[in-house]
Amino acid sequence: MRKLAIVVSVLVCTLAWPQQLAAQSQPQANAAEQQAFQREFDDVCSRTQGAMSLTRDELKDLVRRCDALAPKLAKLDQSQRKVYKRRLEQCRGLYAYVLDTRKDSDQ
Amino acid sequence: MVVQAQQLYVQAVPPEDQFGDVTLDGHVTPNNGPVVFNHWLHRAKFTCRVCHVDIGFAMGANRTGIDAKTNQEGYYCGACHDGKRQFGNVTAFASCQPDGVAKANFTCSRCHASSKTERKYTYKEFTAKLPKARYGIDWMAAENTGFIKPIDVIDGISIPKERIKNRAELSIHPQVQWFTGIHFSHELHSKWNSCELCHPEIFPTQKDAPANISMYQIANGRFCGACHVKVAFPVNGCNQCHAQGPMWVAGPGWVM
Repeated sequence: MRKLAIVVSVLVCTLAWPQQLAAQSQPQANAAEQQAFQREFDDVCSRTQGAMSLTRDELKDLVRRCDALAPKLAKLDQSQRKVYKRRLEQCRGLYAYVLDTRKDSDQ
Repeated sequence: MVVQAQQLYVQAVPPEDQFGDVTLDGHVTPNNGPVVFNHWLHRAKFTCRVCHVDIGFAMGANRTGIDAKTNQEGYYCGACHDGKRQFGNVTAFASCQPDGVAKANFTCSRCHASSKTERKYTYKEFTAKLPKARYGIDWMAAENTGFIKPIDVIDGISIPKERIKNRAELSIHPQVQWFTGIHFSHELHSKWNSCELCHPEIFPTQKDAPANISMYQIANGRFCGACHVKVAFPVNGCNQCHAQGPMWVAGPGWVM
């Protein structure tokens, strides 16, 4: 009976261990994802003030990077998502706007 | 010449101490009334860019999504009002703290209007020494003469950016002959604003914008009116944009 109890305890711990590890690493993975998002966002959206000086290819690349960031908003927490959704819309909107004005002037 | 105010479409302006006030009443409870946000207090300390680009405040009712939770987590109002951030020798008071109900006798009432509202500043006292315009404060003169030094970067929130380049100046010609044209200065507007604040949300590309911008649209909060009806100097001061326009239009029924 005692042996059975020990075996069951070991079995339970073994089964629970990976889940515990996953639970501990989940916040770390989220924090890493958020940091990666922040870095990319800061890099992409730091160029808005010089947008008029960028080439069409540079602007297209920035729009593409903004579009790549958009799905990652879903991984942020609710409040962050609200803030960065707007900031990303403003940032992407400006690059697309400047790109559009270039097309207008080229026609 | 008699000009009917209806042709100009502008509305009467409120008392100066109420101009620019924004009421946030999306989360009113029996303990906490609506929040009345004073633009005159904040614009003396920060550029428009800090709040409406870096922190993410939208410029329209119910478009931002501020609530106690976002403030507690350090966003929107809580980005500065966290009880720790220092501006000079002033520590911004904490907003919407988790135990806010327990501290409702003071902390909540700093912002939420109630019978116990305690505002640290009044308009009259705060603006006593600031240069005055025809209506309200001459904010540009206030900065140029050193009365105010608006903060343009909030550590941990603002992205370091270069100064705007290609600050094109524009001449805009009115549709009517009895008003002179407008000289729009990107130089002046980019001092406190960012490109993305206006473009494309307020001023889209030519293909998305109407052929002509009218005073009717402006007076109803579109284009220039997004700012120059309720927060920046109001469009009632015609000659602030139209060099030879009337100095002031009081509102409906006004006759030149």
